[in-house]
Amino acid sequence: MTIEMTKVSFAYHGGTSGLPVLADVDLTVPDGEFLILLGPSGCGKSTLLKLIAGFDKPTTGEVKVAGKTVTGPGKDRGMVFQDLDSALFQWLTVRGNVEFGLRMNKVSDADRKRQADEALRMVNLSGHVDKLPDELSGGMKQRVQIARMLAMRPEIMLMDEPFAALDAQTRQMLQTQLVTIWSEVKRTAIYVTHDIREALNLGQRILLMSAGPRAGIKHEYEVPLSYPRDQTDPTYIDLLDRLSKDIEEEVTKVWS
Amino acid sequence: MVVETTETTPPKKAPFGRLITGFWISFLSVVFGLIVWEIAARNFIDPFFLPPVSAIVAGAVELIERGLLFQHIAISLFRILTGFILGSFVAIPLGLIIGSYMPVRQIFDPYIHFLRFIPALALTTLFLVWFGVGEVSKILLVMYSTGFIVVINTATGVVTTHKNKKLAAETLGASTWQIFWFVTVPAAVPSMYVGMRLALAGSFLVIVAVEMLAAESGLGYLIWTSKLYFRIDWMFVGIFLLGFFGLLTDYAWKMLGRHWLRRYVRETANY
Repeated sequence: MTIEMTKVSFAYHGGTSGLPVLADVDLTVPDGEFLILLGPSGCGKSTLLKLIAGFDKPTTGEVKVAGKTVTGPGKDRGMVFQDLDSALFQWLTVRGNVEFGLRMNKVSDADRKRQADEALRMVNLSGHVDKLPDELSGGMKQRVQIARMLAMRPEIMLMDEPFAALDAQTRQMLQTQLVTIWSEVKRTAIYVTHDIREALNLGQRILLMSAGPRAGIKHEYEVPLSYPRDQTDPTYIDLLDRLSKDIEEEVTKVWS
Repeated sequence: MVVETTETTPPKKAPFGRLITGFWISFLSVVFGLIVWEIAARNFIDPFFLPPVSAIVAGAVELIERGLLFQHIAISLFRILTGFILGSFVAIPLGLIIGSYMPVRQIFDPYIHFLRFIPALALTTLFLVWFGVGEVSKILLVMYSTGFIVVINTATGVVTTHKNKKLAAETLGASTWQIFWFVTVPAAVPSMYVGMRLALAGSFLVIVAVEMLAAESGLGYLIWTSKLYFRIDWMFVGIFLLGFFGLLTDYAWKMLGRHWLRRYVRETANY
């Protein structure tokens, strides 16, 4: 499903308290794209994601998914939260968490089991289905969140810095796994990060956001490389260099 | 392509052996305390003020022979548990609704936050006038004291349920009612559990005071009347039994949390 944002601005409390976080954002995401929202902290990239998810409503402008205006969250848009613990149901096992949405939607027992098993296989958690979230490592918790989303087979997968709290090795493995999953399910993915290498490892297109307040999309970068990304490729190195300089400008703005 | 990870999972439970060792340490501590008491009471303290443990045991045997002790224990526990269970039965649904629905909160809040500062003791005489000198007034007083603690803790649990859990449930297609029932309620269980544990202890305080003021039976009554007979040893039997049954019910509650509700209350039941 295509996502379209036109002249979207967002300010807390309807704009009564201070400057808008986001101002005049225009964005089109074609069906099936892996899009990265990259930017320094406080640039409103998570806010943009929340507007697509329907957690917040734009102060002005419109967010449309498949031609319909977003009015709230929906099961067509799955979400993976950055926080390792707050979004999981810690009283449910791994399987219970992954099957949660299917149960809520009264999917038949056979389909539920099949869809959950498939999602668990994709994140490589089939051997841990009976564990509780407390018994899992950070990387496994995030894979539970991803599987929970995949089980619902959403048209759009929204991910808010899902690997930011993990160590570098785990993060890299999960990036590889995520690309594999994305190419298997062929759905739109929007991924928020502040990590340039992560952006280059995952995205087909990278939107660099300017620093807030009144943040917006500063520059757009296409990544014309195949997966898995070769970090020694001259194009990769060139993009890394350009993105670093571009993002540094924004960070400097925040600090000066 | 399958990506193998080498992540480790934390250990599941404390080894059983360590729990056993812990029990014996506590047991020896109690035995030591009783020995110190016995020696001190026999040698340094006037037994009228602090009888030795052996004299208290003798007093207990005497009470059992007169056939009164078990009756006092049974009636006190009956009042405590009935009031506690009925009070929680009313308070949990109320707390859930108050926590999740603002208009209901606004209706009940002034009453709750006004009344909870009025101890059950202040209402004892009034309840006796209203509901008679029988069991009803006593059970209602325990319900009253239990109710406020449980309502407030339950509502707090609802209010503090992390926003991300509810948002996640929404993206998974859960309805408002499903979110309440399958996310908010289980997420509030630890707070309910803690509230009920505090309320259980509170029930002991209330019932003893009520039995001292207006009853012909119960451990509170036993303690109160022992004074009239100058039987300090009987008084200690009553005091000891209160502590003992308090400890026992609290332990039972803790075990319930550790075993049946483990996945809901998690580390809340560790102490």
